[in-house]
Amino acid sequence: MEKVLTRNIHKENSQSIDVYLAGGGYEGLRKAVTSMSPGDVVEAVKKSGLRGRGGAGFPTGLKWSFMPKEKTKPHYLLCNADESEPGTFKDRLLMEQDPHMMIEGCMIGAYAMQADAVFVYIRGEFVHGTKVLDKAVAEAYEKSFAGKNICGSDWSCELVVHRGAGAYICGEETALMTSLEGERGYPRVKPPFPAQAGVWGMPTTINNVETLACVPDIIVRGADWFAGIGTDERNTGPKLYCLSGHVQRPGVYEAPMGLPLKELIYDLGGGMLHADRPLKACIPGGSSVPVLRAEECDVNLDFDSLAALKTGLGSAGIMVMDSSTCMVKALLRISHFYAHESCGQCTPCREGCGWMERILQRIEDGKGLQQDIDLLKNIADNIEGRTICALGDAAAWPVQSFVTKFRDEFQAHVDEQRCTVQGAAHA
Amino acid sequence: MPRITIDGVEMEVPAGTTVLQAALSRGREVPHYCYHPGLSIAGNCRMCLVEVEKAPKLMIACQTQVADGMVVHTQNEKVKQAQAAVMEFLLINHPLDCPICDQAGECRLQEYAVEHGTGVSRHDVGKVIQSKAIDIGKHIMLDQERCIQCSRCIRFCNEVTGTGELDFFQRGDRTKIGLYPGKRLDNPYSGNTVDICPVGALTLKEFRFATRVWYLKNTPTVCAGCSRGCNVMVAVGKKQELMTSPGQFDDGIKRIVPRVNEQVNGHWICDEGRLSYIGLEAAGRLPHAQDADDHELDWDEAVRRAGKGIREAASAGRLGVIATPRATNETLHALKSLIDGVGGAATGVQSIHRGEDDNLLIRADKGANSAGAAAILGATGADDVLRSAGEGALDTLVVLGDLLDPADTIDLGDVATRVKQLIYIGPFADAASKAAHLRLPVSAWAEEDGTMVNVDGRVQLVRRCHRPRGEGRPGWRVMLDLFPGAGVEAPDWSSWEDVYTALSGGTDTFRGTTAESIGLLGLSTAEPAPAGA
Ligand SMILES: Cc1cc2nc3c(=O)[nH]c(=O)nc-3n(C[C@H](O)[C@H](O)[C@H](O)COP(=O)(O)O)c2cc1C
Ligand code: SF4
Ligand code: SF4
Ligand code: SF4
Ligand code: FES
Repeated sequence: MEKVLTRNIHKENSQSIDVYLAGGGYEGLRKAVTSMSPGDVVEAVKKSGLRGRGGAGFPTGLKWSFMPKEKTKPHYLLCNADESEPGTFKDRLLMEQDPHMMIEGCMIGAYAMQADAVFVYIRGEFVHGTKVLDKAVAEAYEKSFAGKNICGSDWSCELVVHRGAGAYICGEETALMTSLEGERGYPRVKPPFPAQAGVWGMPTTINNVETLACVPDIIVRGADWFAGIGTDERNTGPKLYCLSGHVQRPGVYEAPMGLPLKELIYDLGGGMLHADRPLKACIPGGSSVPVLRAEECDVNLDFDSLAALKTGLGSAGIMVMDSSTCMVKALLRISHFYAHESCGQCTPCREGCGWMERILQRIEDGKGLQQDIDLLKNIADNIEGRTICALGDAAAWPVQSFVTKFRDEFQAHVDEQRCTVQGAAHA
Repeated sequence: MPRITIDGVEMEVPAGTTVLQAALSRGREVPHYCYHPGLSIAGNCRMCLVEVEKAPKLMIACQTQVADGMVVHTQNEKVKQAQAAVMEFLLINHPLDCPICDQAGECRLQEYAVEHGTGVSRHDVGKVIQSKAIDIGKHIMLDQERCIQCSRCIRFCNEVTGTGELDFFQRGDRTKIGLYPGKRLDNPYSGNTVDICPVGALTLKEFRFATRVWYLKNTPTVCAGCSRGCNVMVAVGKKQELMTSPGQFDDGIKRIVPRVNEQVNGHWICDEGRLSYIGLEAAGRLPHAQDADDHELDWDEAVRRAGKGIREAASAGRLGVIATPRATNETLHALKSLIDGVGGAATGVQSIHRGEDDNLLIRADKGANSAGAAAILGATGADDVLRSAGEGALDTLVVLGDLLDPADTIDLGDVATRVKQLIYIGPFADAASKAAHLRLPVSAWAEEDGTMVNVDGRVQLVRRCHRPRGEGRPGWRVMLDLFPGAGVEAPDWSSWEDVYTALSGGTDTFRGTTAESIGLLGLSTAEPAPAGA
């Protein structure tokens, strides 16, 4: 497939506005602002079938249409550049290598929703990305793609980069808003939804970096072109896949939505890392989504195909595990992450995540009790669906799927009081 | 109005009502920790999960608004299972030191654990350890381990006082409640955080380890600290050795907590009012009627002498009266009737002003019944009376001393030496009492029934919470006893209600109201007294 999102990244000085402009950059913004109504832009994005690349896969055009049509208050667009889901590193590539594509997408989105400002909330650890972005924003202002009278029109909109302080939870949409407001990064109970009352209580829409980077080409080449890429009309467009784990060539790969998982692992990724260690399991959408057994890996990487297997495309972080992987240890590592990152606001997640981690540590230490496996599953069931934000689910799903799909291995760990996986590395 | 069904009971409730409010309004208990009617909705404890038909997940009742046709289940198996799960989560890192916790007996964690928990712990992997007994404010101690992170105290300091001393620090199950660096929980309303804390994480220094809550007898009354007239509950300790004889509650006042009245104080009281009992309990009391030489006088003799002095001075036009603005309407009406009976007196109401009005509850006018006193005695200020007395223009000066704090009884200077007879009627052995020629004890605040009018013109009941100290009698009774000696026919009053009936028949502010109609939340009088009266 022709590269869309990554077409510029290997060019020299790919970050500079001149290189971006030379490749036809900002034509989408110019077209939107000078020849389309905001409503036309929303319609185009709806028609393209674009769904959010941040994790939930929510239809982007529909989300944009929730913003009030009559403006009585300032509107804001937030670009979620907090990318912290384990196994996910695609937004970083876009920001560091081709920041203007994302900026153009931000400004088109802002025009569609008549936003007064766009805030790019960037992960605190992305020091280099912040520098690149700061420079790109300055260039965009200079060329009137941001600020006053954008593209010579009477529409104005500010563009601000805000660096986070290093909490995973601040990537959750409402926690990002409280953090941006200068408060502790706590998710908010919904309703109200962001389009009614978001950041500073104003109508707000939040989108992922990659989602917004898709927008310029939808405007320039048309919704039908975009919708023509992918599995079907519900799973469209070009997509970045983050491949990691036991493969020959980990990295970010661009391919159409719906790329077969096996093709990603064996063709693009060059196959398993060790010829004698076959595929054992794969997490297809970042650490929070349920794991797939090797037998389940004949699946296309799109929202609906993965949902049919009761997992998800999530943030498209594909983590490949070979036969040497100890599933207890892998799950312990994941559960440690969520226990560490739980904001601590709501009871089931705050208390449950730490509890699950401590039980897993006990099993890993060879001190697991017979009842521990059922207890783990039960704690996860008591968290799922009962929390303020989806971090609770994100912590529960791996536990539920690991202990169910690899129950024998957990059982052996408890029975033998040690790891029985051949070649597994344990600290 | 939306029609909804909760546990099979159909009800109509106003749009915008939450499921929790709707359930509570019909007497259905949905367990909840973080929800507090005086604060914003946090939705963090997850204790109030209920099933709403057609919703994919359980919903939190505290935040879910009713919608027409909604069918809610608050007690089915799914809900009970969720409640038990949340209880289990709340308890796994809780120290369970109930035997030494002040909250025991009124702890929502204890209560819900019994009602909604499983009774057994599946948690055996070590609790998160946090700090205990941290001094965080003039009146407040914190036990971090006991905190269930409901954020009520934080929201109180952010939303009610706007002082923002508290927040959570760290994340996950390491989350700690604590003070911002350099801050102390010293706002003038800090004690409310203790009341709203559902567990024993925040305790009041003045109440810590003082007693067990099941040894307390509570009486609804009104604070006498200032003209706001906050509604409170006064708890009197029951002497533990008297446990077996119910009704013997008299180990003094142990604490004062707010009583909800949306028209007056909402859910809150100030720390000064909350702790006003301490000075009262500590004050030196006048044990019995006395003459200037501290000799005990027989009551009949004392009131005869006092009545005589009043009559003689009045007939010469040389009687002066100064009353505390913390006296009840009944006492003041009895006093006024006596004055009218003897033909009048130079009358003044003492003014007790300190500090400034704030924008929450506290009033600079510390006269809890300033408005009632102004309406009944028609007088403000005591300066003219004091001046006349100082100039030697009065023979008898009657001073009705303060009923809450001896330090608030009017400073008479050397006026006692300029009058023939200074009659002190008050509960305390204070400076005015010492200077007096005749001293008649009365019961203090919380020792007698009656009414007061607050700054907004609301008549409210003040109640006897415990037995008066010494020989203190209700003020109106003392006044009544003075009538014969003063040569005035005594009215036929045998209760404070009788006095109130007489008052409402003769004083505009109270016209049309009756003692029975006041009720626990008070009654707005037809013509609200002017602010600061
Ligand atoms: C715990 C948690 C962390 C998240 N972190 C991110 C993140 O780092 N980046 C992101 O784009 N979305 C993240 N999301 C998803 C956002 O909440 C939100 O759905 C997304 O930004 C919406 O953008 P989209 O519609 O373009 O996908 C996270 C969600 C949760 C529950
Ligand atoms: S689910 Fe976890 S991360 Fe989300 S609000 Fe609750 S405690 Fe915080
Ligand atoms: S200290 Fe008490 S009121 Fe404050 S958050 Fe903890 S439990 Fe809630
Ligand atoms: S504000 Fe006034 S009435 Fe209320 S508690 Fe304080 S002193 Fe008492
Ligand atoms: S009372 Fe509803 S979540 Fe706490």
